[in-house]
Amino acid sequence: MSSRITQVDPRGPRFSAGITAFLLLIGVGLALVTGTPQDLADRVLSPVFGLFVALAALFAWGAFAGVARHPWGVLFRRVIRPRLSPPTELEDTAGPTFAQGVGLVVVATGLVLYLAGVPLALVVAGSAAFIAAFLNAVFDYCLGCQLYLVLVRAGVVRHGGARRVA
Amino acid sequence: MDPFTVLIVLAMLVAVATGLGLLYRTSRSRVGRVKADAPVEGVQLGTEGTLLQFSSTVCSACAATRRILGEISTENPTLTHVEVNVVDRPDLVDRFGILQTPTTLILDSSGVPVSRIGGGVRREVVLAELGRVLTLTPAHTR
Repeated sequence: MSSRITQVDPRGPRFSAGITAFLLLIGVGLALVTGTPQDLADRVLSPVFGLFVALAALFAWGAFAGVARHPWGVLFRRVIRPRLSPPTELEDTAGPTFAQGVGLVVVATGLVLYLAGVPLALVVAGSAAFIAAFLNAVFDYCLGCQLYLVLVRAGVVRHGGARRVA
Repeated sequence: MDPFTVLIVLAMLVAVATGLGLLYRTSRSRVGRVKADAPVEGVQLGTEGTLLQFSSTVCSACAATRRILGEISTENPTLTHVEVNVVDRPDLVDRFGILQTPTTLILDSSGVPVSRIGGGVRREVVLAELGRVLTLTPAHTR
C-alpha cells in the first residue's frame, strides 16, 4: 500500500491505548458481573461478549489497516494533535501496529475460551490486555515490542521479515 | 459477583498495572556492567569511543534515543553513534543477550564494550557514563 502512513506522532498510539485501556477495564468489570453463563446462547447474547468482539475488531483494525487509520488514531489526528505542540520525533508505525496484533491475539483467545465455557476467560484476557494498554498509555512502555524482540531471538522473525531501521 | 467486589478487583488491577509501570520507570536508562574482552566486529568505530545502539523496527523509545545519542556524537566528534537493527546482527544480540530495544553499549577506542545502558536513554546518564568509562579529549584542547 503506497499511501500507507509509516510515521506517526508517538502521542497518538498512547492516546489510543488510553481509550482502549478504559474500554478493557469496563470489559473486565462486565465480565466479572456476568460470569460465564451455562448456556452457549446466553454467553453469545450477553453484553460482555459484544463488548469484547468490538474490542477485538478495533485491535484487528489497528493490526491490519495500521494504527494511523484506527478510529482512535484518526480522532487523535483530527481533534487532539492540532492542539498540541509539534512532536520532538516521530515513531515508526510498526511498533504500535504489532502491539495491536498482540492485543488481537490475546482478546480473540479470551473470546474463544469464553465461548467454550472456560470460567474467567474474558477476565484474564481482558486484564492482560488492560495492563499492556495501561502501561503504553501512562508509562510509554510497549509490552508488545518486548515480545517482538523475544520472537527475533527465537528466530521466528528474521532479516527481511521486518523493515530496516533507518 | 456483586458490584462492590467488582470495583475492588478493578482497583487492584489498576494498582498492579501502576506498580509495574513504576517498576519500569525506575529501571529505565539503567546502567549496567558488560562482560567483554573482545572488540565488537563489523562496526564503524569512533576514534575515542562508540555509542552502539541496538534498535528494532518495533520500538517506541528508539527514535528518542537515536536523537539523543546523535546529538552527543555531534557535540563530541571523536565519538561515533552507530545504530544496528537486531534482525541484522543476531550474533551481537546473542553475544550480549539483548532483551530490550533500545539497548546502548559504550565501546572504548578499540571497540571493546565498557558499559551498557538498557532502555531509552537519558542524556545526563549517557554523559555521566561516558565520563566514567572513557577518557575523552576535552573539546577545547583539540
